[in-house]
Amino acid sequence: MSAAVAALVALGFGVIAVRRRSHATVLVALQGLILGVTAISREGGESGAMAVAGAILIIRAAAIPLLLLLARRRTPERTLVAPTTSVATRLLVATAVVLVAVAATPPLGIADRVAEHGAVALVCLGIATVVVRRPALLQLLGILVAENGVYLLAIAVSGGVPAAIELGVLFDLVLVVTVAGAFAGKIHERVGSGDTDLLRGLRD
Amino acid sequence: MTEAILIALPAVPVATAGLVLLAPSGRVADRIALGGANVTAAVATTLVVLALTAAPGVEVTGDWLQLDVASGVFLALAAAVGLVGAIVSPAYLRHAGRGWFGERRSHVYYYAAFNLFWAALLTLPLVANLALAWLLIEGTTAASALLVSFSGKRSALEAGWKYLVLTTLGLGVALLGIVVLYAAVGGGGPGALGWDALAAAAPSLRRQTTLYAFVLVVVGLAAKIGWAPVHNWLPDAHSEAPAPISALLSAALLPIVLLIAWRTELALAPALGQTAIREVFLGFGLLSLAVSVPFLWRPLPWKRLLAYSSLEHMGILALGIGIGTPLAIAGVVVHLAGHAIAKSLGFFTAIPLLRQDPWAARRAARGVARFSSSTAGAMAVSLASLAALPPSPLFVSEVMVLLAGIDAGLLGVSASAAVLLALGFLGLSHALLEGLFGGRGKRGTGPSPRSARAVAGLSAFAVVALLALTAAAFALPGSDLVRGLTGGAA
Repeated sequence: MSAAVAALVALGFGVIAVRRRSHATVLVALQGLILGVTAISREGGESGAMAVAGAILIIRAAAIPLLLLLARRRTPERTLVAPTTSVATRLLVATAVVLVAVAATPPLGIADRVAEHGAVALVCLGIATVVVRRPALLQLLGILVAENGVYLLAIAVSGGVPAAIELGVLFDLVLVVTVAGAFAGKIHERVGSGDTDLLRGLRD
Repeated sequence: MTEAILIALPAVPVATAGLVLLAPSGRVADRIALGGANVTAAVATTLVVLALTAAPGVEVTGDWLQLDVASGVFLALAAAVGLVGAIVSPAYLRHAGRGWFGERRSHVYYYAAFNLFWAALLTLPLVANLALAWLLIEGTTAASALLVSFSGKRSALEAGWKYLVLTTLGLGVALLGIVVLYAAVGGGGPGALGWDALAAAAPSLRRQTTLYAFVLVVVGLAAKIGWAPVHNWLPDAHSEAPAPISALLSAALLPIVLLIAWRTELALAPALGQTAIREVFLGFGLLSLAVSVPFLWRPLPWKRLLAYSSLEHMGILALGIGIGTPLAIAGVVVHLAGHAIAKSLGFFTAIPLLRQDPWAARRAARGVARFSSSTAGAMAVSLASLAALPPSPLFVSEVMVLLAGIDAGLLGVSASAAVLLALGFLGLSHALLEGLFGGRGKRGTGPSPRSARAVAGLSAFAVVALLALTAAAFALPGSDLVRGLTGGAA
């Protein structure tokens, strides 16, 4: 589990660092793959639970990234949206946020403390991605990183979270990704770019 | 029988959404949506009557759905605001233009999303399980984000995107709390997250873990309720959404998500203790009041002013729930109903106002009384009630909450809230006077749109309903309804 958590967090940092939306999408797909394999390996051979974990793996690691890649194809950028901060600054801020959050998190009552820290780190990385990245699709990927953190904690719960809840959450996630993809397309059509900084007109 | 009606409640608007997609024209879509809304409201009214007549008891308790007094109160809100929203929607759509979905199919997609959103809102008060509630709240986000951006304007896209991203992130945090809570109760299937199961398990839960889970759930839901400091999406979404959707967001969605936070608090209270719960709710309440009041003093566009007023009123509701005594809960009930009536009327008034003075979408309305007495009258009823000018029921409810705070030994909280409410009252009163008589706004009466006449009728209805609510408010403390909401205490 520790290696999987380390890989998930490293991929989360990658989403904050990389410039291309396609690269970030692949990193999130890899997170889905690691989570799916971890979930299957913890099910212990019970066929119903294995089927649910398998379905979740396919949706998280393949279907959702495919939806995102389609959205990216519909919203081609002539030039990459320039980040407002350098890679080093983004990584430094994200590292500081993650370290503070992990240090401040009390035991959550889940036997696997590494998974608890990993989940909190991923949720923080997801929020940080939304805050520091400007393209709409990268902000959506930030949401997915945060959701992956929650799923990591759900996998680590002894006996797992009920399949009905996991599938319900997944359905909602696909719904949100679909709607967010439509938004990304509409924003691109309206302002000629997926850069959400161009949408800053509402102020008091 | 009641179980069948419970299932019919979301089924009718979902079926209406499906039927409306088959409509060959916008006019047919209007009629299907109106018919569906009437049937939905009739089903909801039946359930409201069943719930309130069973007070202080519970009509139905199941694994996933229940019908109790709180269900009745919040269902009444969602049904009434949704029905009137469906009635006034054609007036909005008539002049909405191309929008996101193109002129030809805009009515169809609007009503489909409207009904799906409404179905989720109607179901949420009946939900007996925290996980199911979370799923439905997340479901409202997808449908309502599209509705917020329905006009397809750049500003509407910004508002819809911000709403989608911030509330989804917030709900992610709430889900983290739900997973922690599920682990704390020791698993046992989805039923372990039912309100009754959580309440039964609470006395034996570890306080620290339960508190952490509770804070995560409430902070996550706060992003959807629109409590400060996680309210950034609220003014944008309320001001950019079509007026009937703004009414649903403000008068139904925010309070209903608040109900879920409240039910979580009631279930976990034995594990957390009254002090911790109070600190969380009173903190959000006072902060929301403090953040909203300066904006009520600024010359804001009409719908944006109403949005900041929502922030203020969600703050008052948080204070009432945080204080938690029977008198405070009586105040919360009156406040919920009064806010729903006055705020819906305010948003519906935006339809004729923006037709008569399109500039009012981007700047504060000025001198409306000079060109439309009916629109000015509706603005006056709405804003005077929201400002809590006596005999508004919101005045009575605010006094109830403040007195309950003093009675509970929270003198500092009550005093701070009273000062902020007084400042909010002055700000809204100033905005109302400027809006009706001030500045160099549009002059001349001009043609009065049909929606202005309709709003005049709605204003008369709202005045009667608000006065009736003020009278009823005095009978509420000690009633079976409050006893049902406070678990027996009155």
